[in-house]
Amino acid sequence: MDNGTSNSASENETITLKSCDGIEFHIDARIANRYTLLNNWNGGESACIPNVNGKVLEKVLEWCEHHINDPQLNCGDDDSRRRNTIIEEWDENFLSCDQDMLFEIILAANYLEIKPLLDLGCKTVANMMKSKSPEEIRSAFNIDNDYTPEEEEQFRKENEWAEDY
Amino acid sequence: MIALPIECYRAIFNNLRYKYKDLFSCILVNRQWCRIIIPILWSNPKKHYENINLIEMFLLTLNIKEQALLIPFKITLPSQRKLLFEYTSYITSVNNYLYHGVSNWIKHRKYETGYELKNAIYCSLIAMFLRTSQNLKYLKLNEIICSQLIFENLYENTTITSITFDTLNNIFRSKAIDVLIKVLYKNSTLTSLDLSNQIFSWDLRAGSSK
Repeated sequence: MDNGTSNSASENETITLKSCDGIEFHIDARIANRYTLLNNWNGGESACIPNVNGKVLEKVLEWCEHHINDPQLNCGDDDSRRRNTIIEEWDENFLSCDQDMLFEIILAANYLEIKPLLDLGCKTVANMMKSKSPEEIRSAFNIDNDYTPEEEEQFRKENEWAEDY
Repeated sequence: MIALPIECYRAIFNNLRYKYKDLFSCILVNRQWCRIIIPILWSNPKKHYENINLIEMFLLTLNIKEQALLIPFKITLPSQRKLLFEYTSYITSVNNYLYHGVSNWIKHRKYETGYELKNAIYCSLIAMFLRTSQNLKYLKLNEIICSQLIFENLYENTTITSITFDTLNNIFRSKAIDVLIKVLYKNSTLTSLDLSNQIFSWDLRAGSSK
């Protein structure tokens, strides 16, 4: 690959991405272009992806590869996409990893600005919260309760209207 | 749990928008979540405007001027206490369920049900929303537009994009139109004004040519 500034990629062109812990991935250039993975590339031999380690980058790239032919969505579609809580089977299987990995993927998608993957991750986490009590959510996500009992009671009371449905 | 940036939490909880019960549970998880969720939960209570607990919260938010509208009726308002959030500042939309909610509250408190009390409470609440909400965009009004306080607050408001009027009675129609024209003249955010339930199109034309 000799031209780092070219955005049009032919079928066989590959690009090398390097994770923050130095692991290299040789990927189809179309993937990098479709999901603008080269924002931080200064034109060197390989594109460095800081903040994302090899294990996570591998997952992110796997998702990008599967979704290489997805249509680009306009910003205006944001709301409708978010409201739709149905997740495709492939994506569901893809994200049924351990919880730490799921959150790492969200962080990476946010950092790399891969909006559809970010939405998918957020939707998955939201689905994990549905129909649970506060206590169940705390234990599912390993979160400490930092309310004083009085404060918790007052929040419960002030938002009581939302408790029914 | 791995910490996420605030914008990611916001995106997660936005998926639960209008799933009030789920958001309610999430509020009680911890303080950080609570701060992120309250604006989402309170942005549009929709059918929950019927809920008397919600009406009680609104009544707690009335200021002296708004409470003064209720003095003639000698009702007992919920006892004042400091709320943990300025909840009504997040409200974006007020619909007709609020009117039902006021009815429900009056029945629950066993006050005599009459239009006057109902309208006065409704009126004080609308004035309160106009005063406190930083984000109010959609407002549905009926004949309570007659209140001077609502006129004043509507005139001051800079966020509303859409107002819908249900039937106005004859006495207040011309006054309402007068205010509307002033609001339209000054307001730069209003993009929709629905008067379809009115039968006075000639009034509007006469008004705007003044």
